[in-house]
Amino acid sequence: MSTPEDNKPGNGEEVESPSTDPDYAPSVAAKIDVWSKAGGLFVPLLTTLLAFFIGGLVVLVTTGKNPITTYQEIFKGAGLNWFFHVGSYEATLPFSDTKVWFPWNTGSVPDDQVSFLAGLNLQQTLIIWIPLVLTGLAVAFAFRCGMFNIGGQGQYLVGAIMAVWVGSSLPGLPSALHIIVAAAAGALVGAAYAGIAGLLKALVGTHEVISTIMLNWIAIWTGVFLFGLGGPLQNSNPGGESVPVSNDILDESKLKVFWGEPLLQGLHLGFLIAISGLVVYWITLNRTTLGYEVRAVGFSPEAARYGGISVARNYFLAMAISGTFAGLAGAVDILGWQFRINTNDVLTTSIGFVGIAVALLGRNTAIGVGLAGLLFAALVTGTSTRNLDPEIFRPELASNLTLLIQGLVVLFVGADVIILSLFNLRKRRRQAPTVPRVESTDV
Amino acid sequence: MDERPVLELRGITKRFPGIVANDSVSLDLRKGEVHALLGENGAGKSTLMNVLYGLYRPDEGEILINGKAVEIGSTKSAIENGVGMVHQHFMLIPVMTVAENIVLATEPVKDGILLDYAAAESRVRDLSQRFGLAVDPRAFVRDITVGQQQRVEILKALYRGADILVLDEPTAVLTPQEAKELFTIIRSLTEQGKSIIFITHKLNEVIAIADRITVLRRGKLVETLPGEGATEEGLARLMVGREVLLDVAKPPATPGESLLTIEDLHVFDDRGIEKVRGVSFEVRGGEIVGIAGVDGNGQTELIDAIAGLMRASSGKVVIAGQDVTGDSCKDCLDAGLGHIPEDRQRRGLVLDFSLAENLALHDYDSPPASRLGWLFPKRLVERATRLLKDFDVRGGSPQTRAGGLSGGNQQKVVLAREIERNPQVLIAAQPTRGLDVGAIEFVHRRLVGERDEGRAILLVSLELDEILSLSDRILVMYEGEIVGEFAPGVTEEELGVAMTGGGRREAA
Amino acid sequence: MSSLVGRLPRGPRGLAWLGILIGLTAFWVALPPLKLRTPLVPAVIGLVALALGIYAVSQGVRRLGWGAVIAGIGGIGLGYLATRSSVDHLDQVIVWSALIAAMLRFATPLAFAAMGGIFSERSGVVNIGLEGMMLTGAFFGILAADKLNSWILGLVCAALAGGLMALIHAFFAIQLRADQIVGGTAINFLALGITGYLFIDVYGGQGTPTDVSEIPDVHLAFLSDWYFLGPIFGQLNLMIWLAFVTVLVSWIVLFKTPVGLRIRAVGEHPRAAETVGIPVYATRYAAVVLSGVLAALGGAYLSIGFVNSFNQNMTVGKGFIALAAVIFGNWRPWGAAAAALLFGFSSALAQRLPAYSESAAVLFQALPYVLTLIAVAGVIGRSIPPAAVGRPYRKQ
Repeated sequence: MSTPEDNKPGNGEEVESPSTDPDYAPSVAAKIDVWSKAGGLFVPLLTTLLAFFIGGLVVLVTTGKNPITTYQEIFKGAGLNWFFHVGSYEATLPFSDTKVWFPWNTGSVPDDQVSFLAGLNLQQTLIIWIPLVLTGLAVAFAFRCGMFNIGGQGQYLVGAIMAVWVGSSLPGLPSALHIIVAAAAGALVGAAYAGIAGLLKALVGTHEVISTIMLNWIAIWTGVFLFGLGGPLQNSNPGGESVPVSNDILDESKLKVFWGEPLLQGLHLGFLIAISGLVVYWITLNRTTLGYEVRAVGFSPEAARYGGISVARNYFLAMAISGTFAGLAGAVDILGWQFRINTNDVLTTSIGFVGIAVALLGRNTAIGVGLAGLLFAALVTGTSTRNLDPEIFRPELASNLTLLIQGLVVLFVGADVIILSLFNLRKRRRQAPTVPRVESTDV
Repeated sequence: MDERPVLELRGITKRFPGIVANDSVSLDLRKGEVHALLGENGAGKSTLMNVLYGLYRPDEGEILINGKAVEIGSTKSAIENGVGMVHQHFMLIPVMTVAENIVLATEPVKDGILLDYAAAESRVRDLSQRFGLAVDPRAFVRDITVGQQQRVEILKALYRGADILVLDEPTAVLTPQEAKELFTIIRSLTEQGKSIIFITHKLNEVIAIADRITVLRRGKLVETLPGEGATEEGLARLMVGREVLLDVAKPPATPGESLLTIEDLHVFDDRGIEKVRGVSFEVRGGEIVGIAGVDGNGQTELIDAIAGLMRASSGKVVIAGQDVTGDSCKDCLDAGLGHIPEDRQRRGLVLDFSLAENLALHDYDSPPASRLGWLFPKRLVERATRLLKDFDVRGGSPQTRAGGLSGGNQQKVVLAREIERNPQVLIAAQPTRGLDVGAIEFVHRRLVGERDEGRAILLVSLELDEILSLSDRILVMYEGEIVGEFAPGVTEEELGVAMTGGGRREAA
Repeated sequence: MSSLVGRLPRGPRGLAWLGILIGLTAFWVALPPLKLRTPLVPAVIGLVALALGIYAVSQGVRRLGWGAVIAGIGGIGLGYLATRSSVDHLDQVIVWSALIAAMLRFATPLAFAAMGGIFSERSGVVNIGLEGMMLTGAFFGILAADKLNSWILGLVCAALAGGLMALIHAFFAIQLRADQIVGGTAINFLALGITGYLFIDVYGGQGTPTDVSEIPDVHLAFLSDWYFLGPIFGQLNLMIWLAFVTVLVSWIVLFKTPVGLRIRAVGEHPRAAETVGIPVYATRYAAVVLSGVLAALGGAYLSIGFVNSFNQNMTVGKGFIALAAVIFGNWRPWGAAAAALLFGFSSALAQRLPAYSESAAVLFQALPYVLTLIAVAGVIGRSIPPAAVGRPYRKQ
């Protein structure tokens, strides 16, 4: 039997009332969860396809090139074709001489040119995948607590800055310890940095979007200051006074490469850190009381409060954890393959922003973030100057195509919650009509 | 008084799927008349007025204004037809001035484009003088009292040329003093030819102000009678009707020691209005104490203060011998409180959580649900499986999303969680609101069962039936105070009078 | 005149303003043209400001009072630094007229975008896509100015392109009731992608040509000989004057006309606005599109009025500074304009300070964000946004 109660808002639908009841509006997290359960894998796939379709149109209209070929080239440039070269190969287990059978070419057969090259490209893609996953997790974790951490960028940067500083100092430290100290320092600084926004929200209700945007740019200019000409952390290389770059990190603090050539930027151990990030994310949310609290607050602050959960505390903690992921992303990038940071990187990197797209497309689930991260990492790598054949499509154009596709994905992902709920609503109306609330107490 | 009706509603029927909210209701309003529309929550008063104000389209029936049939399809056309509405929740913009709020969308203009503030203020001043609605046009709405805000709402309607004013529960938010002033205003309005529909469920007000009274019950018109000669008892009977009491098998109570003690509690809401004014009472183990009262008389704030969700400004709350005044929600729960909240969708349940997770809302952080911060979802599911069976929750497994259950089953989940904690004191706020008969019966039986287990149960309900059939003692709350205590044998009429302020005169 | 005096703030508010001015004076006396060389004078003057600020705070004028306190302390500190600095350096850096002219140039794009942001947010739609809309304006402005050889058409096309971007944002935010932050983020991505793509496609590696039709400067011959004012106002770009006008008009529209009252009503309490017959959706659409147009004009000034070229992502955060100005200025045109000037001044200083320290100058770029963060943190009074901003509205 349907009752007027069934039609109350608070369930994936916005509430219009502006002033009376701020908590009544379901959080972003609640909306996104409803939609993730309703749409499954279908909607993100559709979103992606639509974005690629429009991107393809742009290619066709502006350059007259065949979009399919272009996308194929990008696909190849990202090394994703590696997976299609299944055969009988040998792989060396990381950090040992033991060889085992493996269905893909991990580089042991250099004369199998196609799969060997694909492997190299895939290494690049996975190198980008690492920070994208971690920043994606950062955004996703905050989402699950009902907050929009748009400050992944800043947290990534402070993590990177810290890692470069620690990594380039403290000589004589054992390698493993040095790596751990540098990575932990980056993660902690990221946590503290995001914690500022969490604290402001918890204590005075400052909207986290505003504070994290400001923190992003403060981090950017601080970075430019630190490594810029005459900056306190500018390199001490001979003749380096005119180069706005940091010192290189010491060899001991570099993450080991376990697939590919260290000199050619092979895949480093950060890959495992990202994988563990995904696992930790899932476990924290689903297997700890902290995750329980975070999700409760994200879905319904009012019910959480009634349940005895401190909403303010969770706002702070969720932001700090979110910042940990982003800070770690920055640290791992430095320790894994960048080894140094220059002011131009500080100004132009967009890893943190792409993390937003990753989280949104991945619907804040661990698996989703992993897959969405792969998509965007492949796009970035596949359109890079190094990996895209300029005969087919100019890489400078293609990298902007990537941005375009990212934008479209975010745009559609942001709206498909609504499209889906409209669709559901219509379906529900048809099937089981419910009673609109009769009394005018809804405002 | 002019006898020609300025407004006629003829045979208005409005159906919502499953419910006939208005069943062929006819009503006429004469010029200069105050016509009270009386009925319980859900009787169809607001639906009828929303039809008149263009928010709903009637399925049948017609609306005549000054004898002419009109089509009211939107708020705008209602305004154009001279209908003004003062919503129970004001449609005012706090950061704007009184004058700005009043002239919004029909602003006076000077020099072609500029808003003529001087003209706006003087027009507002003129209007307010003409009808005796004293407000400062330059004051910001956020700075003036609720009573003044209501005047601004009335002025807004008058400014737009309203001849017919609909006042929706206008005294619900007012202090008695402000209500008196409102009545003066209403008289001055009718003297100047305005006609007023006054929606309420407070009987004493109806008798004080109405020229005629129309009583609605469950969507149907019961009777339209002249205000003169109407009595509170008579109106209460018309409003509530003779209904079969829900029969609850209930052995006599055997109250033990006091488990919940409230002493001189005062609570202010976030707008600084005193909602609970010096309430004292106690609930003993093994008894159900029912708090009856019309919505908005401080019941919500009272419960929130007991449960640690709202801070009391003074007074004392003792749960099972432990003073929890000013303690956090968690401490109150730990002291032995169970709380079935009045809004289960917003508060009682995290709708996007599974049932298993919802059942753990109070004890997710202690064994067996978790240990040292590590959650055991399997244990949550095991317990949920058992509880769902015990409490006969249908339509869901432990993994089902709480939002996917029907209202009755949702409430059973809340009940299961609160009772499972084995509380000494159980607050049940509107425990059967919106439930079907089967679920209501279940909840009632369970509450009586818990009473017999020796728990102290505080029942707060707007349903008199429920209060009467469950309570061992009945307290009536009116305007933040306990205005009377009754034994369960009391009649609905007696309670109705007390709930609507009538009892206060006796007490005074 | 007397009415003007009558409108000046009085009581603790007036004293707080006085404190802020005195605090600035403490610094100023150590700078050209006075160049006092003893730190004692700035210290004394700064203490006066400090005292006034503390008094104002004690009287409950928190925001302005703390402003005066900070101005006093800053005045003492900076004044001291200035007295320790070499006179050569001072003369080189502190050329007031040049600094102010530079401030106006830096503030102009911010002011345009900030006015846009105010309209959008006052109507209840968060616009963090200002950055992208500016960038769009910058690119399409120069593209049209180049291809059509007319800066006027450049401005028109910039406005159109920015308006279109805003229309996308509006459609998703209003019609589809999508999350406005997500939508704004998407706009920023899209703008980067579209402008970057077309820039490479049209101009390739060479960049924009140098002979693009530029927005002209306004030469005020009669002013040029005036002391101080001449070097500042004698030759300003047309867009700077237009920015003044835009701020003035924005203020009049928002706070002095029925249209503005309705926009603000929609942003504060859309349901209340609807019950009196204001079309909420239409109002929001108009306001958001207008915000895109204004932001794009600010962007076009950058490309065809200021630096006369285009680069990928050339706005580098200016849209976000504009957003900061909106918040810092409490969603009011004059407040935001003042914030834009302040932020512009910090950029102007950043440009000149390298005489002292190459690196420290950069920190001035972060100043707008730090100040805004402090403002939203509520330490010195709160910035209160329109009540319904960011909340999708469903028609009844």
